[in-house]
Amino acid sequence: MATLQNTYELTYIVNSVISDEQVKDLVARVTAYVAEAGGDIIEVAEWGQRRLAFPIQKKRNGYYVNMYFRSSGVMIPRLERSLEIDDNVLRYLTLRMDSKMIRHYEESKTRQAISYAALPARTENDDEDDD
Amino acid sequence: MSTNTTFREPAYVDYKDVELIKRSLNEQGKILPRRITNVSAKFQRQLTTAVKRARHLALIPFVSDSLK
Repeated sequence: MATLQNTYELTYIVNSVISDEQVKDLVARVTAYVAEAGGDIIEVAEWGQRRLAFPIQKKRNGYYVNMYFRSSGVMIPRLERSLEIDDNVLRYLTLRMDSKMIRHYEESKTRQAISYAALPARTENDDEDDD
Repeated sequence: MSTNTTFREPAYVDYKDVELIKRSLNEQGKILPRRITNVSAKFQRQLTTAVKRARHLALIPFVSDSLK
């Protein structure tokens, strides 16, 4: 089945009330699920625990995970279904990335790479996003 | 024509860019109309989508009546 490959972006919020180990386990499970279904994982960026703008299921905080992968579209409904069933996933958002979004993503990556590369050369008084 | 500040409209409005989105909301969390912000129609359309995505992921509130 030579199916069309798309680039996807998936962001989901994990219930942060569960232990760190369980969170790690769930993230690994989702990533493995995508990989097993024939997806090429580009990046898994864990934003970590954040305060939610409003409570979801009576929780004020959530653990955000943002991932990018390439796959065919047939696995997306199955992936979303499993996320829907999992009680520890508070919210998820899957987006198929068009060329504009891919360009935006790549630009943000190169910007990040440049700032990282420039970091050792400069002294600490430079104000980047992360210290 | 152009906006009063030196604001350059990005080609893609990212829902993850909370800083950018927040600038286009009022204190209640409503999207500011184009008549106030003077942005292009193209930008405003993308902004609307980005706001809705960000709200879904609880990055920005649906309503915020912060009575201070």
